[in-house]
Amino acid sequence: MVHHKHILLIDSILIVGTLLLIAGAVGYARPLVIAPLEDYVTSENSVLFVFDKADVILIDDNLAFSSPQEVYVQNEIVLTLQPGVYYWKVVGALESDVRQLTIESSIDLKIRESQDGTVSVVNSGSVPLEVSVYNQGVLSDRIVVDTDSEGTTVKGEKYFGRENENP
Amino acid sequence: MKILNLLFAFLTFVFSISFAFAFGITPAEIIGKYSPGESNDYSFEVVNSENIDSDYVILVTGELNESVSSDSVSFSMLQGEPSKKINLKFKSPSKLKPGRHFADINVLQIPSKLSSNSGTVVNSLIGLTLRFNVDVAYPGKYAEGTLNVADNAGIFNFIIPVSSKGDLNIGRAKALIDIYTPLNEKVISLSTNELSIISGSVAELTTSWDTKDAVPGRYRAVAAVLYDEETFTVEKEFSVGNTILGLKHVEVNDFSLGGIAKFEFLVESTWSEQIPGAYIQMQVFNDAGETMADFNADTYDVASFENKHLVSFCDTEVVKPGTYDATAFVRFGQQSLQHDFKLEVSDNDITVVGIGYVIKERSGKSGTTSSLTIVLITAVGILVLLNLVWFLLLRKKLKTKN
Repeated sequence: MVHHKHILLIDSILIVGTLLLIAGAVGYARPLVIAPLEDYVTSENSVLFVFDKADVILIDDNLAFSSPQEVYVQNEIVLTLQPGVYYWKVVGALESDVRQLTIESSIDLKIRESQDGTVSVVNSGSVPLEVSVYNQGVLSDRIVVDTDSEGTTVKGEKYFGRENENP
Repeated sequence: MKILNLLFAFLTFVFSISFAFAFGITPAEIIGKYSPGESNDYSFEVVNSENIDSDYVILVTGELNESVSSDSVSFSMLQGEPSKKINLKFKSPSKLKPGRHFADINVLQIPSKLSSNSGTVVNSLIGLTLRFNVDVAYPGKYAEGTLNVADNAGIFNFIIPVSSKGDLNIGRAKALIDIYTPLNEKVISLSTNELSIISGSVAELTTSWDTKDAVPGRYRAVAAVLYDEETFTVEKEFSVGNTILGLKHVEVNDFSLGGIAKFEFLVESTWSEQIPGAYIQMQVFNDAGETMADFNADTYDVASFENKHLVSFCDTEVVKPGTYDATAFVRFGQQSLQHDFKLEVSDNDITVVGIGYVIKERSGKSGTTSSLTIVLITAVGILVLLNLVWFLLLRKKLKTKN
């Protein structure tokens, strides 16, 4: 003999159990995002992405992800990104939350002079560098040194670098 | 012997450098906020990238030099000090014309410390300039943008980041993109999505074009961006089709070992314009992977959609019969396409085996994700079934019994 009370009890168990199991399943399937942290700011161009239960990273410069870069990878990857603000998420069975990542631009000018008097200008920063070369107080040359350049030979006394704004 | 040579080269390089000095700044640019009469704080870091003792001087120049000030005009950094934070204060002038304004934050590294530390006389001086930009909104509605074109496996995405630089929000912005051939014939017209853009923010207008039926070649995209009652135009050239000069066939005729081998390369142009100055570089490798021969064919102009024979000669005096790995590079303009194959060399014949390419496929969904999806769907399915059985069958049955 099953009472009305028992039926209601089974109803409750079934509804609560279903909700708990769905919540558990969704929680289990949701990608686990480890790195980089939310609002991560760096001046390094290479960023390590670490996550679990996903196989695509979507990266875009806007929150609407209107033109995302898709990277198919599992668990972790080091990506090289240009300076800027990025939004990213990973996608597996479900999508992760969106995180923000900022790659700050940096300019870094290195002057190397060898014993034979040859001077070379090296760009160790993350953006192309425009270098003005002065001799005896007069501007004698203006060169653009790319980030992947091994160095440009110049002759001068003073070297002033700034981000090249006319790529 | 090889290691000794490398060590010698390395030591020569090390001793040839009498000194090196450097420093860095991050970020390379600061965008300041324009709020008339108010002050805002910003900062940047000077990076001691060469890890040396040095003195620095800061000098602000440019049209906003009286509005931007740093918390120190000179400072020192010691060896072991990786970076130093410099604070800036920007007091917005009460009136600035619409558009971009700037100040240059010049940081100079003083070489005196360098000289005394290294013992060498350094006549050089280096400096870096950080640009401090301020954007003042235009009255009303005003937008600027650029057109970016990205190829995604033959589907070209057209992206226009539209920046709302007026002091009023833009209600509706969209773009119409016309694609033209080099002969100015319109190929297709595309329409982007429509967006509203808040003043001071950026939004992207996008659309795509599947080029599977398009003739490979250069195209020009002209986008008319319409926002409320205003418009501006941006354009960009792009190319459809990657492999524009393919290597179809390689053969060697009338060959005799020890003599000069005449290689004939048949290349096919899939490009709608003439390709000037195309040539082939070929390399042959021995069992150890070392280059045995490296030779170039003459340069040729290949007409549009033409099949053309490029000829090259190779001396086989030191070649023995056997099978060798070979690579041919088809070079034209800034491009280089690699083709790997094998050469079976006998006394009177060279057979070319397998001209192939390595195509990296984009991976699909992984096993982990697929299994997770299956688990999720199965779990939800079972739960739905359980609920249906209980509420529609068992529950009713039990109630009827009672």
